Amino acid sequence: MAAAAAASSYIMFSMVGWKNGIQNTKHTLRFPISAQINEAAEQLKAGDQEEDQEQAKPKPSPLRPVEVQQNVKSKNMGREYGGQWLSSVTRHVRIYAAYIDPITCEFDQTQMDKLTLLLDPSNEFLWNPETCNKVYAYFQELVDHYEGAPLTEYTLRLIGSDIEHYIRKMLYDGEIKYNMNARVLNFSMGKPRIMFNANDLPQDDLQSK
Amino acid sequence: MQGNLSSWLVKHGLVHRSLGFDYQGIETLQIKPEEWHSIAVILYVYGYNYLRSQCAYDVAPGGLLASVYHLTRIEYGIDQPEEVCIKVFAARINPRIPSVFWVWKSADFPERESYDMLGIYYDNHPRLKRILMPESWVGWPLRKDYIAPNFYEIQDAH
Repeated sequence: MAAAAAASSYIMFSMVGWKNGIQNTKHTLRFPISAQINEAAEQLKAGDQEEDQEQAKPKPSPLRPVEVQQNVKSKNMGREYGGQWLSSVTRHVRIYAAYIDPITCEFDQTQMDKLTLLLDPSNEFLWNPETCNKVYAYFQELVDHYEGAPLTEYTLRLIGSDIEHYIRKMLYDGEIKYNMNARVLNFSMGKPRIMFNANDLPQDDLQSK
Repeated sequence: MQGNLSSWLVKHGLVHRSLGFDYQGIETLQIKPEEWHSIAVILYVYGYNYLRSQCAYDVAPGGLLASVYHLTRIEYGIDQPEEVCIKVFAARINPRIPSVFWVWKSADFPERESYDMLGIYYDNHPRLKRILMPESWVGWPLRKDYIAPNFYEIQDAH
């Protein structure tokens, strides 16, 4: 494939993170459901543990600045590359080997030396800048890790899947929450859980039944 | 225990090994990969004009890869056509088997699928490339030592 050949000369990935979900939440009611424990006492405990973990684990690498381009125009891929862009599209992560302007959404497919990540376009989770940046930093780490690999859909899908697993981990750790006003509410990463323990039920009820 | 075709091949000095008969009584022969192309031509001339199916499988973990051909002799006025099953085994590292596309044209897509799933290289196949998996896929999914990549799928949505 021509695209694979082009990847060998390909050393620096740059990265454009773009999140379109944040603006929309102004109009919507926030009614988050946590994937984690809801009781206040438990949350306090969890908070203490998180602080300990944060001290222990290394900080994510700082985000490299992204050069903002002016006057980006939508351009299709040249015919010598088969007229197709490379992408990995799953529900929460879309990675394109192209430059996408964050404001005008112009889609320049000729800039194959860049990867663009669209995070959660269907707005299933509630994001804030901090959690977004964590995902971007993880994306950057993965791109550095896969440096030198051929630029194929397979590699992009490996990266995209790792980010999806990372998002799932964030959800399970309670860092992000389901957006209850999402257009499709099917809890694609597992039903929201409230910690329920049958031992806490009053014993009389159980015995009478 | 030797079938008709096996004794015919022995009479003409063609090397093969009889693997007995399958549950339908169809003769099964093993042929070496380097002799398979010439024997395929001989079988075509003998009268096997129809490649009914071609498939491949992984014999054992770390073992050989097998490519299986079911041949039938189609003639007018016959209700019990002669059939034979040929198995060609190739080593796991760099498995190469001559393609029978130029003998039976119907081997085109089955051989591509065998290549896609098990990584058997069919020499002289006109367009040997992946047919089921994406072209950039890495690995041979039906081999017994294949480890599926940890791709994200929606599993919990309801």
